[in-house]
Amino acid sequence: MAAPRKLSMKQRYAALTHDLDWDFSYVDNAEAYPYTTFEGIKIHDWSKWEDPFRLTVDAYMKYQAEKDKRLYAVLDSFAQGQGHLSLADAKYLNAMKLFLQGVTPLEYQAHRNFSFLARHLNGPGPRFAALCQSQDELRHAQTEIHTLSNYNKFYGGFHSWHHQHDRVWYLSVPKSFFDDAVSAGPFEFMIAIGFSFEYLLTNLLFVPFMSGASFNGDLPTMTFGFSAQSDESRHMTFGLEAIKFLLEQDPDNVPIVQEWIDKWFWRGYRLLALVSQMLDYMLPRKVMSWKEAFELYFEQQMLGGLFKDLEYYGIRPPKHVQHAIDEKEILSHQVYWTLYQFSFAAAFNTTTPDSEHLQWLAEQYPDTFDTLYKPLWDKASRMVEGGGRHFARALPQLCQTCQIPMLFTEPGDPTTICQRHSIYEGERFDFCSDGCKWIFDREPEKYVQAWLPVHQIYMGNCGGPTVPDVLAWYGLQPGDNGEYAGSQEALDWAAWHTTSHAPAPTPVAGN
Amino acid sequence: MAVRAIGEYKFPSSSRQELYGDDQLVHVYWKHNMFICAPSCFRVPKAMPWSAFLSEVVYPVWGQDPDFDPATAQFAWEVDDASISPSGDQSLESLGIGHKSLIVANAA
Repeated sequence: MAAPRKLSMKQRYAALTHDLDWDFSYVDNAEAYPYTTFEGIKIHDWSKWEDPFRLTVDAYMKYQAEKDKRLYAVLDSFAQGQGHLSLADAKYLNAMKLFLQGVTPLEYQAHRNFSFLARHLNGPGPRFAALCQSQDELRHAQTEIHTLSNYNKFYGGFHSWHHQHDRVWYLSVPKSFFDDAVSAGPFEFMIAIGFSFEYLLTNLLFVPFMSGASFNGDLPTMTFGFSAQSDESRHMTFGLEAIKFLLEQDPDNVPIVQEWIDKWFWRGYRLLALVSQMLDYMLPRKVMSWKEAFELYFEQQMLGGLFKDLEYYGIRPPKHVQHAIDEKEILSHQVYWTLYQFSFAAAFNTTTPDSEHLQWLAEQYPDTFDTLYKPLWDKASRMVEGGGRHFARALPQLCQTCQIPMLFTEPGDPTTICQRHSIYEGERFDFCSDGCKWIFDREPEKYVQAWLPVHQIYMGNCGGPTVPDVLAWYGLQPGDNGEYAGSQEALDWAAWHTTSHAPAPTPVAGN
Repeated sequence: MAVRAIGEYKFPSSSRQELYGDDQLVHVYWKHNMFICAPSCFRVPKAMPWSAFLSEVVYPVWGQDPDFDPATAQFAWEVDDASISPSGDQSLESLGIGHKSLIVANAA
C-alpha cells in the first residue's frame, strides 16, 4: 500500500473545512439557513470569505491547551505563595470586580452567539471561523473566572458576579449592550461584536485592564491577558474580514453596514465609560489616562488608520464620533463622581482621591480637572473629615438606550446635564445624548422593552421597597460595597501588611 | 424605521405608566448643581400637592449637598421645557407633570 500523501497546511485546512461542506439536495437552502436574508444584506458568493488563520480543529486544540497549561501553572503558584499580598493595594481589585461582573458574562454570551453563527451562516469559511471564536469566548469566560476566583477567598465583591450581572443597576449597562447584539440578526451581530467591539474598541477595553493588572502586581490577570491575546488578534481579523466581505458582496450592503457602525460605535463607546473611570480613578498605580488611551487606541489607530482604509468602500467614521472626542476631557470624572455617590449599591468600593491622585488628575486633564472636578472632591473631602461621607439619596434618571444614569453633559457645556427625549406611542423616553436618542429612534420597538433598574425597583420587582431589600436581592454582602476607607477590605489589607507576625489571611466567610 | 425581524416585532413598554397604578415616575434636575451627580427619578402619586412633593420628596434628597438650605432655597421651575409658577396646593397632574416628565430647578 502506498504511503498516504502528506498534505500541506493549506490543503489540510481546505480538506478539513471547506471540503467538508456540501449542497443540500433534500432541503431548500432558505430553510436550512433561515436567518441570513431578513436583515437586507445581500451575499452572492460565500466562497469569497477569506480565512486569514487557516486553523484546523486539532491545531486549535493544541495551541489552546498549551496556553491553558501555562496560565494554570501561574494561577497555582500565585495562590500557593499568597501572591495577592503583593498587589499594589487591595483597592486595585475594584477594577477586577468590575471586570468579572461586567465583562466575563459577556464572553459567555459571545460564546453562545458565535456558536449560533457557526451553525447559521451559509458559508463554511465564516462558519468555521465563528466556531473557533465561540470556543475562544467560552475559554475566556472560564479562564477569567478561574483567574479571579483566587481573590474571592480573601476579598469582597467577587462572590456573586453572575447573579449580579442580571440584577445590579450598573451591570445592566453591559448586559443590555450584549442583549441588544444577540437579539439582532447574524450580520448585525458580526458588525456589533465581531467588528465594533472586537476590532474598533477592543484595545480600549482590554489593554487598560491588562496593563492595569501588570502595573499593579496582578500576575494572574496579566497572564490571562497574554493567554487571550492571540485569540483576540484572530477575533480582530474575523471582524475586519466580516466587514470587508459584507461591503464587497453588494453595494446595497454599504448603507446598512454604515448604520450598524454608527449604532455600535456609540453603544460600545458608552459602555467604555466604565473603563474610563477605571483607568483614571480605580487603579492605584496608573497606566495612562483615559484621554491618552482614547487618543492612542481610538483616534490614532482607528480614525487615523482603519477608517482611512474603509473609505475605499464608501464607509465614513461613526456618526457621533465627534461627541466622543469632545468628551475625552470630562468623561471619566463624571462617571466616577457618580459611582462614588452610588457605591453603597455596588459590588465594589469607591473612595476620595488622595492628594497625589488629585495632582495626577490635574496634570492629565489640565483644561478641566482643577476648574470643574477638584472643587467637588474638595467639598467631598471636607464632608468626610466632618464624618459625613455623602452618598446619593435618590435613584437616578436613566438613559433608555445605554441605561447609564443621566450624568453626561451637553456638548460644549460641562455643567449642564444633557437631556434628550422622544415621544413614542404617547410615552416619553429619555436619553443621555444625541447618539442614544438616534439609536432609539431607529428601532423604538426594541428599546421600549428595556429593563431599566430604577423603573423596576419602583415597580417592586427587585426584592422590595427599601434599600436593604434591593441590596439583598442584588446579592450584596457586608464588605462588598460603599466607602473603601475603613472597609473590612482596607482593615484586612493593613493588618496583613503592618506586622511581621500578622495573621495569615483566612478566607472570607460566606464566599 | 421598524426593527428588521424574522416575524412580527411588537412589545409593550416595560416602563409604561399603567404599571405604576395611580403613581407616575418623575425626573427632577437641579440645573448646574454638579455636586448632585445626576437628575433623580421618583415614583409619586399624580395627585400629590406640589408643596408636599418638594418638602417630602425632593428637598430631603437635595440635602445631600451641605450647602443646600430648604428654608431659603429659591428656584424658578420648568416642566418639560416650559416655565411653571406652581402654588403649593396644586397637584403634580394639574401642573402638567406627566409620567417621566422632567422638572428642572433653576436656582434664583
